[in-house]
Amino acid sequence: MLDKILPKEIYNVLAEKVSFNALNEIRLRADKPIVLSVGGQRYFLGEKGMTGNLKDAIIPSRVMIEDMVFRASECSIYSVNEQIKKGFIVTKGGVRLGLGGDMIEEKGQIKTMTNFSSINIRIPHEIKNCSLPVFNQILRDEKVCNTLIISPPGAGKTTFLRDFICQLSERNYAFNVLVLDERGELDLGKNPSSIGNFADKISFARKKIGFENGIRSLSPNLIVTDELGEEEDLDAVRYAVNCGVNILASAHCDSMENFIKKPSFSKIIEEKVFSRFVLLSMRNGPGTIEGVYNENFSRVTKY
Amino acid sequence: MIKYILMAVLFFIALSIGAIMSGKYRRRANFFKALVLICQKLNVEISFSRERLKTLLTSFDDKTKAQLCGLTENYLSFIEKESPLDKQSLFKGITFLKEEEKDLIFLFFRSLGRSDVDSQSKELKNFETRFDDMVSSAVKDNKKYGAMSMKLGIVAGLAAIILLI
Repeated sequence: MLDKILPKEIYNVLAEKVSFNALNEIRLRADKPIVLSVGGQRYFLGEKGMTGNLKDAIIPSRVMIEDMVFRASECSIYSVNEQIKKGFIVTKGGVRLGLGGDMIEEKGQIKTMTNFSSINIRIPHEIKNCSLPVFNQILRDEKVCNTLIISPPGAGKTTFLRDFICQLSERNYAFNVLVLDERGELDLGKNPSSIGNFADKISFARKKIGFENGIRSLSPNLIVTDELGEEEDLDAVRYAVNCGVNILASAHCDSMENFIKKPSFSKIIEEKVFSRFVLLSMRNGPGTIEGVYNENFSRVTKY
Repeated sequence: MIKYILMAVLFFIALSIGAIMSGKYRRRANFFKALVLICQKLNVEISFSRERLKTLLTSFDDKTKAQLCGLTENYLSFIEKESPLDKQSLFKGITFLKEEEKDLIFLFFRSLGRSDVDSQSKELKNFETRFDDMVSSAVKDNKKYGAMSMKLGIVAGLAAIILLI
């Protein structure tokens, strides 16, 4: 898919001189050097591949950035405007492009984004068995504990969630799993499915709507969703738990200490809605498991 | 005998030139009518289904595509990244357009898919109005010069025969 989005000269360098498997992010900013994130390290992209030398870096123009956004929308910005309003576009295959530019507001509502000036391309990876080290701590008495995966951005939360769903499917835990894929990143759209055989999917819906509709119509045993953050998301989690549905979700934070201090999560922590917290970091590359904690924030396992 | 054959050939050539000239005016009128139709269809489809341009452009009926003389195919090859979006590539194989008409149509294709539904819809309506003006002008030209070209062809053919007699 990247070949359809990136300008030929940039794609060719990436394809020939840099391994896509190693790439986590490509950051393109108008009139600034292209930055690659590889295993937590940052490099510039030069004509001969990755470089630490700023002088060798390829500098994309604003027109190039605009054209890439246009290409990412399959030449139809109007068809992905709801995503653009939230600041991203997800292409087929789960590649997410975070966008920077000018937000246009009309009557207090965001109408669209124009004058795109930067793109952050996140390359999704399937890391087989990355959730296995903590699989048995999350699964208790044949039930999935309400679990929150915590990590800073880019440390492998989504990859972890995706792998966990697959592990359930491979082990024939025939839970009805509802994947609420708000940003279209969880399901990579591959065949066989990257979300296993027992998962239904609702894409691009807000959590509140996705949870309510999904519980009513698909009767899930487990809801998997990415990036809880707003009060509304946590209300949706409470609603699901009260309906007897288990939750596996993720949230941004760099440590348990800081997570406990997050105002938006204070109430749900107090209510002990989640009984497992898995902390990921980038210490040994994305997806490093730092620890599993219970509802009292005591370590269940240390890694 | 040769004289009669020559007369017939000359008449046929003059008639063909007249028909070609007349056809050019007819093709222009149909071309602009098809552009108006495209604006209308795109406006409806984009407003309701928000389907991608590639799907919409390929779903047009063969008659409309033929009337556009390869214009949609040329644009689709830009979508497929096979050619750049410039006037030379867009109007490949289309010879009957004036430079200012090409400018407007190029602007139209350059605006396609670049904005949200509301803005795209307004742009399509604006282009529809401008293409409508072109239709009126092309239909008028077709009536005036199309018929005249055909008549001139016949007259020229007959004149050639008379000269040979």
